[in-house]
Amino acid sequence: MIQYLVILLDDTSVSFCHYGNAKKERRLMPLETLEAGILFGMKENLNIQFVYPAYALPEAYNKAVERVAHVKIKPAAMPDNADVVVMDGWEECESWTAGAGVSCVLRLPKAEWFGHAGRAAALLEKAERLNVVLTDVETFTEDDFKAYEASLQELAGSLAAAYASGKTPQLNLLTDRMMLDKMNNCGAGDTNITLAPDGKFYVCPAFYQAEGGYAIGSLAGGLDIKNAQLYRLDHAPLCRHCDAYQCRRCVWLNRKTTCEANTPGHEQCVVAHLERNASRQLLLEVRKQGTFLPDKEEIREINYLDPFEIRKEW
Amino acid sequence: MAKNITFIVTKDCQLACKYCYLVGKNSKERMPWEVAKQAIDYILDHESDMREASVVWDFIGGEPFLEIDLIDQICDYLKTEMFRRNHHWFNSYRFSFSTNGINYHTDKVQRFIAKNHEHLSIGITIDGTERKHDLNRIYKGDGRGSYADVARNIPLWLEQFPHAGTKVTISSEDIPYIKESVLHLYSLGIHEVNINCVFENVWKPGDDRLFEEQLTQLADAIIDGGYYRDYACSFFSEHLGKPLDCVTQNQNWCGAGKMLAVDAEGNFYPCTRFAQYSLREKKAWIIGNIRDGIDKNKLRPFLLLDRCTQSPRKCIDCEVAEGCAWCQGENYDAADTPTIYQRATAICLMHKARVRANNYYWNKLFRKLELEDAREPYEENKPKPNPLNC
Repeated sequence: MIQYLVILLDDTSVSFCHYGNAKKERRLMPLETLEAGILFGMKENLNIQFVYPAYALPEAYNKAVERVAHVKIKPAAMPDNADVVVMDGWEECESWTAGAGVSCVLRLPKAEWFGHAGRAAALLEKAERLNVVLTDVETFTEDDFKAYEASLQELAGSLAAAYASGKTPQLNLLTDRMMLDKMNNCGAGDTNITLAPDGKFYVCPAFYQAEGGYAIGSLAGGLDIKNAQLYRLDHAPLCRHCDAYQCRRCVWLNRKTTCEANTPGHEQCVVAHLERNASRQLLLEVRKQGTFLPDKEEIREINYLDPFEIRKEW
Repeated sequence: MAKNITFIVTKDCQLACKYCYLVGKNSKERMPWEVAKQAIDYILDHESDMREASVVWDFIGGEPFLEIDLIDQICDYLKTEMFRRNHHWFNSYRFSFSTNGINYHTDKVQRFIAKNHEHLSIGITIDGTERKHDLNRIYKGDGRGSYADVARNIPLWLEQFPHAGTKVTISSEDIPYIKESVLHLYSLGIHEVNINCVFENVWKPGDDRLFEEQLTQLADAIIDGGYYRDYACSFFSEHLGKPLDCVTQNQNWCGAGKMLAVDAEGNFYPCTRFAQYSLREKKAWIIGNIRDGIDKNKLRPFLLLDRCTQSPRKCIDCEVAEGCAWCQGENYDAADTPTIYQRATAICLMHKARVRANNYYWNKLFRKLELEDAREPYEENKPKPNPLNC
């Protein structure tokens, strides 16, 4: 069931996820499209998330946006009144001063993450929540997996210390899995859809802003998600049995790597399981210090990193 | 289970069969030897990725025997390399051909057969009676029927491969000739007739009733004529027409993804049906090439396919689901989005008609056998057709 509507205010609206925005020229969503999108969201009872470009919008847009309850996702260059601030790389983090209740998305390639993951702990001091998004997961090699595992272990140590001192940091890579007892994925095409400046709906922003995407209807013609079941967990043959609950299960990455929206590639699976296993260690560590999440079951030990390896073969 | 590896040696064919799914046939794309050799080297270099106990090296076109020189070279190299590498497929391999039979008698083809006979499986496609065969299987250009040129080679073929079966394809126009065609093939000495309806959406209203009537007449002819003792027709099966369970009977029908195909460009595919010349609406599903290797991520969706995830509710709930087939390539080509997870159901009414005729066949046959006290001998000696998925 669709619950969220992401509205890209401009072709250059900031990417807050794995994909890179291939569109470099400004193309502001027409005001009437924005108003029609907001009306659609209100009538369909959807939570609206506006995604901003790195320039100031005309006043009429600001007024339109304020007519409905919403979340603002903004680039670090224009962070005023943002609910979520997106930073591309460490450099943008340095000068950022967080406001209360603001979440931070840090997008960066693996090369910038490996060896520098400890800096995320410092960033957590400033942000209510930190979502780290690696922008080249699909290129991970065996060596990268090892480096990623090491980075998570390093961060887990910092987080355990923070918990011991009474803080409750939120880092998607390590703390989400501790809190979850079922899949909590991106939900593109299932729980959320995206409206682009061209007035068309897309599964997620990547299907508009990156290459190879396709529309799933329009404001004028209505929503028309072909093979909608393939975005649901129950039609994902690998994921529906998986317990890496924090996995993004990125539909766009799935399409890019395996050509199917419902099938993740090896790299996405291994990365998610490295996070899962590091979360398990963190949970064990925090519980050594006292009662913690008593209603949550232990994350069980497993002997695989890619569930494809233990799939049921007919 | 054997690994099936297909060389698309040419996209050319002497014929232009009306029901052929190969929409992109041409005379230009012939596999160069260097591509074939590189493909073989890649496959044999990756023995650990292909652990099946045996292998079927399949040659397809177009018409594969148009490239008999290349095929001979490929087979010689395969035999030499499997031996030299002490590969686990050495002495556990077959060379398989599905041919239109027109060149079967030529010296080159016959020399190849003599050289490799012990490891050969050759199926000649003959569609039945002359009028049924020539309805679809016509020469490109002048459009004349090919029956006479194929039928003359059947005795030689059966002499060399007495247990060989033929593959018959049924499209809408063929329905009135099913009974006479199967009986005709039996009369030619072909004991195994593997016959199936095309998966494409070619069916007209009323075809299912005509089909049921033809199969019922065929059932009468096979039983009354006693053919059931020594001849097989794949339309009639004891394992057909029951409901299926989504937990215990959830296997995919098709072997796409477990198979491997390579074309003249050196591209790898999960099966030949995913090469561009086989697809009407969609882009080719390339899983790698002989230079960069196979991208295993591109194979994952195929190896994860199960029956219920790709089936619509009407198929999951179907009371006669057992034996209803699908082709993954046609599913992909006919799907609303570029996915292999949307099962095409154009064949639905034809399957249900087949189930009704099949029920009639077995009820009639078993009653006859019981009345003649011949059930036990029949069970012990009944012919067993090879199930063909494609």
